[in-house]
This record gives sequence, structure tokens and C-alpha cells, in this order.
Amino acid sequence: MVTLLPDVETMIAVLYFGLFAMSFDFISGYTGYLSFGHAAFYGAGAYFVVLASNGKIPFVATSTSFVVLLVLAGLVAVVLALLIGAVSFRLSGVYFAMITLGFSQVLYVFVRGWDYAASNPRDGPAVLERTDPFSVGVPGVDSLNLAIGQLAGDSVEGFLGFLNFGTTEVSYYMIGLVVLVCYFAMQRIIHSPFGRVLVAIRENEERAEAVGYDTFWYKLGAFAVSAFFAAVAGGLFAGFQRSVSPESTFYFLVTGDALLASIIGGFGTLAGPLYGWLFDESVTEFLSKTGEGGGLLPYLREHLGEATMTTELWNGLTVGRAIDTFLNGHAELYIGVVFVLFVLFVPNGLLGTVRDRLGGPVGKQVAARLRGDGK
Amino acid sequence: MAGFVDALGRFLRPQNLAAVFVDGLAKAAIYVMIAGGLTLIFGLMGVLNFAHGSMTMIGAYLGGLIMIALVGGGVGFGANLLFFFVALAATFALLAGLGGVVEVGLIRRLYDRPPVYQILLTFGLTLILDELVRIAVLFYGMQPSSDWQSALGTKPSALAASVDLGIVSVSGLSLFEIAFGTATVAGLWAFLTRTRYGMIIRAGSEDAEMTEALGIDVRRVFTVVFALGAGVAGAAGTLLMWDPAWGASVPLAADTLLPAFVVVIIGGLGTFRGTVVAAVIVGMTDATMTWWFVNEIDFAGLPEMTIFLILVVMLVLRPQGLFGVEEVGGH
Repeated sequence: MVTLLPDVETMIAVLYFGLFAMSFDFISGYTGYLSFGHAAFYGAGAYFVVLASNGKIPFVATSTSFVVLLVLAGLVAVVLALLIGAVSFRLSGVYFAMITLGFSQVLYVFVRGWDYAASNPRDGPAVLERTDPFSVGVPGVDSLNLAIGQLAGDSVEGFLGFLNFGTTEVSYYMIGLVVLVCYFAMQRIIHSPFGRVLVAIRENEERAEAVGYDTFWYKLGAFAVSAFFAAVAGGLFAGFQRSVSPESTFYFLVTGDALLASIIGGFGTLAGPLYGWLFDESVTEFLSKTGEGGGLLPYLREHLGEATMTTELWNGLTVGRAIDTFLNGHAELYIGVVFVLFVLFVPNGLLGTVRDRLGGPVGKQVAARLRGDGK
Repeated sequence: MAGFVDALGRFLRPQNLAAVFVDGLAKAAIYVMIAGGLTLIFGLMGVLNFAHGSMTMIGAYLGGLIMIALVGGGVGFGANLLFFFVALAATFALLAGLGGVVEVGLIRRLYDRPPVYQILLTFGLTLILDELVRIAVLFYGMQPSSDWQSALGTKPSALAASVDLGIVSVSGLSLFEIAFGTATVAGLWAFLTRTRYGMIIRAGSEDAEMTEALGIDVRRVFTVVFALGAGVAGAAGTLLMWDPAWGASVPLAADTLLPAFVVVIIGGLGTFRGTVVAAVIVGMTDATMTWWFVNEIDFAGLPEMTIFLILVVMLVLRPQGLFGVEEVGGH
């Protein structure tokens, strides 16, 4: 059977990377400053969690609870963002994108050669010292903690009497809980007077200044907040995977993925990037080699007969080979095509377009129509 | 500290300095090749082309394929070099065609939108181009295979050997790269300053509206410049294919894109003269830091990190770059 939705393991990646994409959108979508080096904060968070668990961060014990680690990682990223932002926000437009890209590449190259982080820094560090799994919950209260991890997490049986969750499902809900809290926090900030100033900066910075706002501090503040949540996302990634690499954290294409998610989901809609990344992961899963979620490839292999598979299309290219060539693990191609089409024809993205159609945020509009006081 | 002074003494030996200087020039030639097209496009159109690295990468593969097709067995130095220029011309033409199609088909639709959208579009384009090349490479089993090794073998043996220049001996390839880069710079320079079309391009980058008012179809000039920029990127790729430090591979796209950005930004986005100077600065820094890494400092990322640090310092001190003006292309 073809499953269109990705399986739960993929959904975990959707959650933590979606949070990173949201944090990217928080600064880039709302202030209009394209932070092309946002991976620096994601990477800082991920590396902080792994290094702290290996006892390599001074004054941070290996056994520190995961939630505390996440907050500390966020604070490290805030400091980093204040340093980078203080310099970068003197520039705007293309120059801002480039200087943040420059900073993140400096960090990427540094981490890739830093043998303090890992014995083989190119491959990146793994959690070696700390054997107990990372758990999400109230620090210090064991009964309110549930461990996450690919194989190491907790499983729950008989919750509310009849619900059973495996280790990945527990990880899914617990990571989802953190992401949800972060989302609400960002949402709260966006809808505060502070957030309104950010939108004013995006729409017309000179006018915002003329009204009397010192836009530099607002931009710097937004950058720091965004970095905090990017680092939390990185920390969740590290906590779940228990190993990180420079390529999966600090590299500029990681920011590129967040950009992809934001554009497809809707630039300047906080929840949009999560849907954008869900879309991206779904396509990837649907076209993956093994198709663990029951993707297109196994379906075609099963349902197309031998005769069809060996039919020659063109110059020795059989249908089977064509499927292998164009579908097997080449999701990036189709995501790229979708991305370009979105930039050209759907500049507001999935969520932005739905909002435009409904005439406001989805939640409010649906509620209004249910109450019957809609248009 | 004493160790550092000793190392500095070793570094400052004349034969060392000469070797680093020639190496730096060779690197500068490569940097100017990969950044030249990027700066032309930005200077005229204000489009920061994220797909530039992919064009270079495609150029490397195309150049290699054409060389394999032409050379076949081993031939002499002269014939090989002749074929190289045939391959170069063909790659230039093909990439210029691709660039023209991209401009007309995609980028033209975005001129009236904020410049961020052009970055986004070309970024999406790199994803598509890189993946298409990856599919082709896998499908034809080009890499790793002995067929593709023969593309590297098309490098004339004289370029692999070293040439004695009095106090230093340098590889023939470095000298070839320097000559090649110089010729490209001279060619583009002559095109921009000595031809009528070059004059139109310069007028268009100064003031597109006024140029339009004079009866020149700036849109078509945009297409020509985008094609030219893509063609130069392809030619750079053909050169990189022979260089053992680079070579044709899909990640070459990102590996060349980032240094190209650094070079055009240090030089001042959109100024050709600045790009040439910045390429020399970056090339020399790269060569110097490579020497320090190989001989004294055990940190593999040293040359690359220094280059990005130069970028950051430059943007802090002088955001518009060495020769840039504050407002380029409406940004």
C-alpha cells in the first residue's frame, strides 16, 4: 500500500528541523533580513549538547538534565547571535545575507578541524560519556520525565489505561512538546508590540525609524530570540540522534533547507515552515530508496509487471531503469522544482496562500465560520 | 613565540616567498575565473546568482566529456592543447546557451520583485542542476570509473611536470592557470572597455533606465550578460577539471560558489576591477595560509577559515568592498 504520510521517525525530524526553520523564519520572514548563516546557531546548539554530555564544557556536568542543557545551549546561541548581529546589522539586503553566511562558514570550517570536539572532527562528535538517554520533562522529577532517542528512549504502556507507545512514539510526542512550547513562545513574541515593530521594519525600515524606534536594537533582539530557538532545535536534533557532524549542523546548505521550508510553507508565517518541511520530508520519503513509509518506488516495483519494467523507452533505457534513475533517492530534484515554482507563482507559500484565501489566520477564520459570524 | 619567529624566518626565505607568490597567482587566476561572471551579472542586473557554482561544476563535466570524446588515445602536447581550446570554446558556448535560457525563462519574471527573490530562485536552480548532474553521473556510471580517469589523463604531460624558474620550480599547470586567468581578465576587460557592446553593458550597470531611454533594449543586454557570465563560469570549470586540487564532482558547485562570493564581495559587488584585485588578495592569502598549514600549523581548515575571516573583516570595515559604491544595482 502506498502511504503518503511519512512514518513516525521521519516526523521526529520534521519536528526538530521544523523548529529550526521556524526560528529562521522568525528573523528572515518577519524582519526581512535574510539570515543566511542561521545554521551557526543550530550547530552551536547541537554541538553544545553533545560536548556537554561528553564533559567537555567547563562547569557543566555530564549528568545535567536535557531540558537544562537545551536552555543553556539557547543562551550560548544568544551570546553568539549578539556578537554576530552587532556587526552584521550595520548592513542590509544582500550584504547582510553574505556576512552572516561568512560567519557561519568560519564556524563550520573551524568545527570541522577542531580536534577538541571529536577525535575525528570531520565526522563530528557522538555522545560517548553519558550512557543514560536524554529525557524531556520537569528536571529532577523522575515521574515527569520521558526519555527520547532512536533506540534508547522510554516506552509507555497502559497510559490512560489503554494507550501504548513505543520508543520512537514517545520521542515523537516529547520532542513535539518542546517544539510546541517553543512555537507558542515565538508566536507570543510575534504578536507582542515588539513583534509588530519587526514587521514594521520589514515593510519600511526608514519609516519605522522615523516613528522613533531604534530599529538596530529591535533587529538584534529578534536575532537573539531566533538564535535561541535555533539552538534548541539543534539540541533536540543532537539529543535524539546522539551524534552530530559539521555537515548536518553548521554547513550553509542546512540554512538552505530552512529557506526551502520557509518558502514552500510560507515566508513570514510562523507555522508555515513546519508545513514546508513536512512537505519536503514527505517528498523525500515518498521517493526514498527503501521507501520505509511505503513510498512510490516499492509500489511501482510491486505493481508494474515484468513486461512493463523491461519495456524499452529510449536507447536501451527500460522503464525499470528509468524509475531507478529518476525516482530512486532523487527527491532533491523534485523539491528544487517545487521550490522554483513556489518562488515564481506562489510567493506566499502554502500557509500564506491559504490565509490569503480565508482572509486571515486559519485558526481564527475557521473558528469564526464555525460560530457563524464569518462573512 | 620563539617557534613562531623561527617559522616566520623559514617562511621569509626567498625561494619560499617566490613559490608562495607563484602559487598565489595561480590560485588568484582560478578565483578570478570563477568570480568574474558572478560580478558581471551582479553589476548589471543586481542579481546575486546562487547557481553560479553549479554552472562551473557543469562546465567541469562538459569539458571533461568533450576532451574524452576528442582526445581518445594519447596525442602530443600541441594537439592536446588545441583540443583543450576546442573543448573550452564548446563548453563556453553550451553554458552561455544555458545561461541565456535561464535568464529568459526564469529570472526575467522576477525583476519587479524584491531582490531576495532572485537569490531564492537561483538557489532553487542549484538544487535542480546539481541533482540533474548527479543523476546523469550515476546513470552513465561516469564516476568512479576508468573512463572518467582518462579525462584527467587528457592533461598534457608538460603541465603536470614542473618548470624551473631560477630560484623556484613550479608546476606547469600553475603557469598555465596564470596565463589562462590573465587572458580571461584581459579578454573581458577589452570586451567591456573597447567594444560597443561593452560600452552598452557599462552604461546599463550605471543607469539602466537612462540606457533604456536612449533606445537600447536593456532586457536583451541582461540576457547577453547572463549568458556571458554563465559561459565564463563554464570555462572556469573546464580549467578546474585538470587541477588535482579541485576536479569535476557535484560538490564542486558549492566549493566554488562560496569563494566566488567572497571574492566579489571583497572587491565590491559588481565591480570588475575590484574582483580582479580581490582575487589576487584571496589567492595570495590562500597560498600563504596553505604554506603555514603544510609546514607549521596543524589545522586543516586554516586557509579556508582565513578567507572567510577576510570576508567578515572586510564587511565590517568597508561593507561596499574595495572598489564598490554604496548602492549597486538598486540595493
